Amino acid sequence: MPEPTHKLKIALLGCGQIADAHLSQIARIDSVEVVAVCDVHEDLAYQAAARFNVPKTYTNLDRMISEVRPDVVHITTPAHTHADLSIKLLNAGCHVYVEKPFTLDATESASVLAAVEFSNRSICVGHDQLFDPMWLRCRDWIQRGLIGKVGHIESILGYPIAGNFGALVAANPNHSVRKLPGGLFQNTISHPLYRITDLMDEDQPKIIGGWHTQPEYDFPTEMQLSFQGRTQSASLTFSTHIPPQRITRVYGSKGSLEIDIDAQTIRLNKIAKLPGAFAKLEVSWQHLRNASWNFANNCWRFAKADIHYFAGMKGLFETFYGSIQNGTDPPIPPHQIHRVTQLMDRIFDHCREQDGTSRINNVSTTPNQEVSKCL
Amino acid sequence: MPVIATVTGATGFLGRRLVHSLLEENDLIVRCLLRESSDTDALYENVPVIARERIEIHRGELNDKKFVEEHFANSDVVYHLAAALGGSASTMFLNTVIPTRQLLETAARVNVGRFVLISSMGVYGTQTVKRWGTLDESTPVDPMPEKRDPYTFSKVRQETVAQELSESLGLPLVIVRPGVIYGPGRSAVTSRVGLPLGPMVIRMGGGQQLPYTFVENCAEGIKLAGLTPDMSGEIFNLVDDDLPTGKRILRLMKQQGQRIRTLWIPRGAIGPLSRIYEWYSNWSEGQLPPVLTRHKCEAMWKPLRYSNAKAKHKLNWKPKISTEDGLQQTIAG
Ligand SMILES: NC(=O)c1ccc[n+]([C@@H]2O[C@H](COP(=O)([O-])OP(=O)(O)OC[C@H]3O[C@@H](n4cnc5c(N)ncnc54)[C@H](OP(=O)(O)O)[C@@H]3O)[C@@H](O)[C@H]2O)c1
Ligand SMILES: NC(=O)c1ccc[n+]([C@@H]2O[C@H](COP(=O)([O-])OP(=O)(O)OC[C@H]3O[C@@H](n4cnc5c(N)ncnc54)[C@H](O)[C@@H]3O)[C@@H](O)[C@H]2O)c1
Repeated sequence: MPEPTHKLKIALLGCGQIADAHLSQIARIDSVEVVAVCDVHEDLAYQAAARFNVPKTYTNLDRMISEVRPDVVHITTPAHTHADLSIKLLNAGCHVYVEKPFTLDATESASVLAAVEFSNRSICVGHDQLFDPMWLRCRDWIQRGLIGKVGHIESILGYPIAGNFGALVAANPNHSVRKLPGGLFQNTISHPLYRITDLMDEDQPKIIGGWHTQPEYDFPTEMQLSFQGRTQSASLTFSTHIPPQRITRVYGSKGSLEIDIDAQTIRLNKIAKLPGAFAKLEVSWQHLRNASWNFANNCWRFAKADIHYFAGMKGLFETFYGSIQNGTDPPIPPHQIHRVTQLMDRIFDHCREQDGTSRINNVSTTPNQEVSKCL
Repeated sequence: MPVIATVTGATGFLGRRLVHSLLEENDLIVRCLLRESSDTDALYENVPVIARERIEIHRGELNDKKFVEEHFANSDVVYHLAAALGGSASTMFLNTVIPTRQLLETAARVNVGRFVLISSMGVYGTQTVKRWGTLDESTPVDPMPEKRDPYTFSKVRQETVAQELSESLGLPLVIVRPGVIYGPGRSAVTSRVGLPLGPMVIRMGGGQQLPYTFVENCAEGIKLAGLTPDMSGEIFNLVDDDLPTGKRILRLMKQQGQRIRTLWIPRGAIGPLSRIYEWYSNWSEGQLPPVLTRHKCEAMWKPLRYSNAKAKHKLNWKPKISTEDGLQQTIAG
């Protein structure tokens, strides 16, 4: 049922690092207003509210819900809290936007999605790069048949361990991220993984590869996986040896695309039509045209003030809010959310198996039949 | 009974100089609360073996109440220096404001004699001071700290929290607000001089005094704020005499053979430029982040004079190292 078209009241739970991105992107959307922020630490709630002009702060979620009655709550707390908080908020009648990773495992994911059904509220997971302008263009070009049928996807995440977050995790053996079933990867591989699942038809492909621990660390820091489906394959690389980067290459029957989310460029490589030596000229000419297109596109976007690091987040928020206001389907279908969580479970189980290490949590990796039915 | 001075942040740039300065006092034990990962090499550097015996090292987390309580017990004075100097606003609050709240509560519980909070001179709002006017302890704190950089915002909040808790818990509190601390190991070219742009420094104005303090002078002032009797409730600014200007620092560096490329923005242009930048940042919804706003520029580069009269008078503090010597030592590395 469509919601009344008043400005949606948004509240945010968890005023840490990523909360800043949420609050700055929500501020760019006219149809909503942030009415409150909540954090277990009053000082963190205070700083977020002060910087983003939010009228109310809370340290107690129940109080926030009962006093401000938000339409939507953004959950930007650490991963291990996502499931319980989502269920609580859904049951309290709020729509929920939850940061990635959706939950710790597929069992939790199933419970949250069951609560979505039960409460008749919407949920959205922070797979925001799917709404990045370059990703949207990639999907558009694929749909227009520019590279033919997608056969292989290569997804890369550069993540120097000496960076802000990596260094914190490395320095502290008790860091909450280390205790996640998939360790550092649980917190980081959602983005490169859903860039694969977005283009891969097969729900649960075969997994090959594993993770690796560098000698100077006591937890796995590298990951190299291959996914084999019936008609498509993919690879995921998480490397601490390269600078931060988010690159995807999509190979089709007629050519390939390289999407660089940081550089905001998309490169099209068509398979040459001309024969022999002429093909070399044709391909270079294509590259030149493509580079000019990217340059012109980014100049134009800069002039329009359309270059924002978290542009995908804004796009996803707007689509989610729109779906609530218009009573339409949420932007990321529940079965896709569940599928990524299941795949993550399988990845971590597989890596542990390769590694000979045991599970930290009792994670179920077979699709939960009951939930699969209701999705 | 020896005086027990407990120090957080003792391994830092300032903290280790404070420890060295405290060790100059006879009959004083310095108790350092460090993280597991803290490196003590520089802390022990140049400390005579006999004095080393008066350094106690205890490792743990500042948010571990038991750990802090155990080591705050019997402390005559706690010098709280540990703080985050970089990162996002939430990181700074997490590492600066939240531990301060917990440390003050614990200090009050175990009856610490005095809590010395190391704040920063950046907390002042310069709106009420005229150009070339004097900024001293009577100048109000910035009423809009959220519009400043996250570090300054966290330091303002840290002070507010400390003052509220000191009052409600009856804990004697002294606040020290050092200017920009420089010395060997930390460049004298800071954002007060200008902004880095690739290999260049954009010099902002350049003729205005900079609120600088040489690290050893600053450590001495902090020590006195903890040990001079009857100072509860006081606030002290620490800046040196004969304050340098950005122009002087850059000239000295060039004289000493350092290659440094600068681009000069005249003082008169800073205001209009910051207005244009701020407008663009707002209009573009943050395509360029609001790093240069009128509010920030005023706080950083407004031409002011800085007074250290109160610290000199009440603490009997005197910056021992002259600015000339301090800059020479710093540039030499
Ligand atoms: N530098 C300046 O220009 C300036 C000016 C005015 C005021 N201040 C203030 O002076 C104080 C010291 O500054 P500094 O320049 O010496 O900084 P620094 O060199 O970065 O030292 C910071 C110290 O704090 C410790 N620390 C940081 N976060 C901590 C945490 N979460 N738990 C425990 N310890 C923590 C660090 O320990 P590790 O060794 O373990 O990292 C280090 O000992 C700060 O309060 C700062 O705000 C500095
Ligand atoms: N989309 C992205 O690109 C992106 C980037 C970074 C992080 N994230 C995700 O966002 C989430 C948060 O990460 P972060 O780096 O901001 O973490 P953080 O630790 O900086 O912030 C989490 C905040 O939540 C608060 N909190 C914890 N439990 C709470 C509770 N029960 N109620 C209220 N507040 C609570 C903490 O006090 C903290 O302030 C994680 O799931 C992470 O994977 C997403």
